[in-house]
Amino acid sequence: MARTVLGSAPSMPALFARAAVTARGRGGGLPDTRLARTGVRVEAADLAAYDRVCGFPLADTLPATYPHVLAFPLQLALMSDRSFPLALPGLVHVRNRVDVLRPVRVDEALDLEVWAERFARHPRGATVDLCASVSAGGAEVWRSRSTYLSRGAQAPEGAPQSDLSLSVGDLARPVATWQVPDDAGRRYARVSGDVNPIHLSGLTAKAFGFKRAIAHGMWVQARALAALTGRLPDAMAVDGVFRKPLLLPSTVTLATDPVAGGGWDLAVRNAGSGAEHLLGTVRPL
Amino acid sequence: MAPQTRKAAIVGGNRIPFARSNSAYAQASNQDMLTATLDGLVARFGLQGQRVGEVVAGAVLKHARDFNLTREAVLGSRLSAATPAYDVQQACGTGLEAAVLVANKIALGQIESGIAGGVDTTSDAPLAIHDEMRRVLIALGSARTVQQRLAALAGVRPGMFVPEAPRNAEPRTGLSMGEHQAITARQWEISREAQDELTVRSHHDLAAAYERGFFDDLVTPYLGLTRDENLRPDTSVEKLAKLKPVFGAGDPDATMTAGNSTPLTDGASAVLLASDEWAASRGLPVLAHLVDAQTAAVDYVHGGEGLLMAPAYAVPVLLARNGLTLQDFDYYEIHEAFASTVLATLKAWADPAFCKERLGLDAPLGSIDRSRLNVNGSSLAAGHPFAATGGRIVASLAKQLHEAGPGKRGLISVCAAGGQGVVAILES
Amino acid sequence: MSDWYRDLANSGVGSTLVKQLGLPRPAVLRRYEPGAPLLTGPAVVGTTGGSRLHEILIRLLEDAGVPVQPPAATDGERLGAVLLDATGVTGPADLSAAQEFLTPAVRRLGPSGRVLVLADPPSDAGSPAQAAARQALEGLVRSIAKELRNGATANLLVVPAGAEASVPGPVRFFLSGRSAYVDGQVVALTTADVPADEDEERPLAGRVAVVTGAARGIGAAIARVLSRDGAHVVAVDVPAAGDELAEVVNEIGGTAFQLDITAPDAAQRLIAHLRERRGGVDVVVHNAGITRDKLLVNMDAARWHAVMAVNLQAQLDLTQALLDAEGVLRPGARVVCVSSQSGIAGNRGQTNYAASKAGVIGMVRAWAPAFAERGATINAVAPGFIVTEMTARMPFGTREIGSRINSLQQGGLPVDVAETIAWLAQPSAAGVNGQVVRVCGQSFLGA
Repeated sequence: MARTVLGSAPSMPALFARAAVTARGRGGGLPDTRLARTGVRVEAADLAAYDRVCGFPLADTLPATYPHVLAFPLQLALMSDRSFPLALPGLVHVRNRVDVLRPVRVDEALDLEVWAERFARHPRGATVDLCASVSAGGAEVWRSRSTYLSRGAQAPEGAPQSDLSLSVGDLARPVATWQVPDDAGRRYARVSGDVNPIHLSGLTAKAFGFKRAIAHGMWVQARALAALTGRLPDAMAVDGVFRKPLLLPSTVTLATDPVAGGGWDLAVRNAGSGAEHLLGTVRPL
Repeated sequence: MAPQTRKAAIVGGNRIPFARSNSAYAQASNQDMLTATLDGLVARFGLQGQRVGEVVAGAVLKHARDFNLTREAVLGSRLSAATPAYDVQQACGTGLEAAVLVANKIALGQIESGIAGGVDTTSDAPLAIHDEMRRVLIALGSARTVQQRLAALAGVRPGMFVPEAPRNAEPRTGLSMGEHQAITARQWEISREAQDELTVRSHHDLAAAYERGFFDDLVTPYLGLTRDENLRPDTSVEKLAKLKPVFGAGDPDATMTAGNSTPLTDGASAVLLASDEWAASRGLPVLAHLVDAQTAAVDYVHGGEGLLMAPAYAVPVLLARNGLTLQDFDYYEIHEAFASTVLATLKAWADPAFCKERLGLDAPLGSIDRSRLNVNGSSLAAGHPFAATGGRIVASLAKQLHEAGPGKRGLISVCAAGGQGVVAILES
Repeated sequence: MSDWYRDLANSGVGSTLVKQLGLPRPAVLRRYEPGAPLLTGPAVVGTTGGSRLHEILIRLLEDAGVPVQPPAATDGERLGAVLLDATGVTGPADLSAAQEFLTPAVRRLGPSGRVLVLADPPSDAGSPAQAAARQALEGLVRSIAKELRNGATANLLVVPAGAEASVPGPVRFFLSGRSAYVDGQVVALTTADVPADEDEERPLAGRVAVVTGAARGIGAAIARVLSRDGAHVVAVDVPAAGDELAEVVNEIGGTAFQLDITAPDAAQRLIAHLRERRGGVDVVVHNAGITRDKLLVNMDAARWHAVMAVNLQAQLDLTQALLDAEGVLRPGARVVCVSSQSGIAGNRGQTNYAASKAGVIGMVRAWAPAFAERGATINAVAPGFIVTEMTARMPFGTREIGSRINSLQQGGLPVDVAETIAWLAQPSAAGVNGQVVRVCGQSFLGA
């Protein structure tokens, strides 16, 4: 296994550009590479901007989804590298799991490590998991597993079946209605660095086959967790599957059900059609 | 040593007629209306140049410039400039909560007199600049060099020039109060007919109260308005039945219309409270005493309770503390945010399951004599300038109790945004 | 409201123009201000043989610091007032003394000067000749009033035997600027208990006064003057005028009471308010009034009833209720009713209004004895052409004619009516009862 420690976060627009021009002719297995950064500090202004966009209160501990923003540039570097078998443009985020092992303080120095694993078969192509682990003081405090679908791609022989099932309650009662504006993608891109063109504008999204720009799945998940602020366990496993893309702008509803033993089931659906954008669970660890 | 407590007297009140949004008071600010209301109270009770212990008031929709709204209104009024003041805000409960705060200080002997009030305008409501534009301007203000200023200005984009209007929606749910109440109305199966009947009664009772001069010493005209603009003395169930539902979108059986919901309204109210001695020394009447009060809140976001159901929780606590039953009142003032709010609250108190499971009571509170409810009309007819409603109710009920004679008791119940409720007992 | 013509006529160029055209030249009237001297120049006091009141007048003038000159003095100084004690005339021959005294004295009268004649009542004269002489004085005074210029006035006080104590208060009123627009009037005094001392600057100190229709115009002026004179004013007006009422009240430091005085329980509500909040009332001014003008041939019942209800019936009902209510109307109470010139002279298009205002006069006269028995008084004040917001809306011609056809050649101000009412409310006006005092500048209408 090759482990590369980067001195700073790579430039994401450059990575997206590199991934775009090198999209053709990829294939093969997942690279056995890990990218890492050490001693990463959270910038308070960056966190505040992220909190505002997602609806979290600015606090001394990080929102469950925030370390993803720190790790994502490394994951992008991994995916944009020629050795990565799937073309980045067109990759769709279909599931995101986060384990918060303990609350992470804003002022902790964090060590990040990312890698790819579990190349899996999917009825419409292949999925791959981009994993991240965040440690503080030598102990893992946070980890995530983001599953991406590449339509039409082929998983290697003998690859396992992709698992996108998640069981939640009936979630019949909406507790909130959100009007998601058409600039929601641009706003989240600014605070997360995820400048994937499918989120930025109708024009750029059309180039990749979407009718309109679509919201970031990570924003939807973060916004739902933000709505449960004050009612979440300190250590928890957060899971979410992204179903229908959330086209911008949209009016959506959030439904939450508390579950026995603590934790929540949740769903974000289109307010009109009821189409499911996100199904999620939160369970104490 | 704990000070002896006494009960605060309600001496009287004043309000300006309530106007429909963007109508008679379209050019009036909160400060304008509150000042006029205080001046009317001063005129009624001869308080020119006098210092009362404290003036407590608030507004729900407030401009940034109104950070010291009540004190500014006092300074513009005929009261002594040496009268202290502070602002409170508990959404639609503001006016009643202000009265409770003043009454408590009087009860503790910290002040001898005080004025509680509230004001709101939906016509002169604050518009905020776009949040990102605001941040740009803040950055610009703190920039020290030309480069920093240019960098700050570089963040400006055309969309930021569109101002943000305040939304009449709960921040955590994104639902308007009406949409929330529509859920409650459906849950409690409150019929359209029952809501319309309550609405008609509100209009007829308010009109009758005006006719018999009940408001002669409770209301002072303002900007050409002499009666509440929303009042429709000739409304009827038949007329109301023609209105289309406006809340409960998508529900084919939606019941809530513009008629049986309160419209957006502008207005202000104020109540003069005092110790008995203070009132007696000035030859001022004691209409009633504020006996006790209680607030409650419900989890309307994740807890499955209706946004406006908190008073249903506050009342049993208040009753228990005062050794009273729901039937021990001569008059009830249940704020008509929506007709269905009143009806759902009454239904909940009579519902054994709700009283047992939600309120933790052995037996339901029971029903009330509806002829004692909102006898001089309420918000459906008068309108509801959020923070001004409490003052309207306190002064009107105190006068009603005074007219009925000594020893009469009244219950006030006001629901508020954020799943809150303020309730109080007055006694003549 | 400015009187453009008066201002023009008193300006440099305008004054010349007005003189050359032979137009009337209305004067700027001397009006009362607290602390101002009673008169602006010395006084002369004459008699016609008898001199029942001479000493009272001299003492009053001396107390007020007014220099009193001998009647024969002829030095150049303009006189502030010419007073004639004409009591004791026995026949027309005695009147020549009056003429002899008045002719040189009135010639010396200064701007806004005062001619005040005091006489015995013709009604209790001992002979027709005596009655004739006493009555003759009325014609004399009214004519002097018409001859005087520069804001000077002439009035007659009728003083029956035994009513001497009632004299000083009314004399002070007629000499002072309070009576600026009261001209050519005859006021009869009665015997009464007049309080010995009175704070002349605040004669109503400690008293509670109710003023109806106090939100604007004459009513607001009444409230201001009563308050200035020391009274706590309970200002009453219809609820619909409550905002203007509150402004007036907050300016003067009184209390506002919104009330429709025609409501069935109006009197009881006002009495309850006075009893609870003030412990009673000393002065009641029935000022509220409305007009609903129409020629009689076009008059409808609604117009007729509305005017009668507010202008007359409410005054009757409230006064009766106050008399009936135990302990509310305090000893020495004063009721002043606002009548109108229309009630005396009649007015085209105002059958309802004039009837109601004439009715007020009848009411006052009928009630006077009963009030006297309680040591109280009831009087009426009848304003003439008073410049208000209402008259400002009149057509120019009507307004100009209305304001000029009087001896002072100008319209009065609301404060002139108010000053007269405030005087009648004073303790020292105890001897004025059942009278109708016109505040009209000696209007040519109904004189």
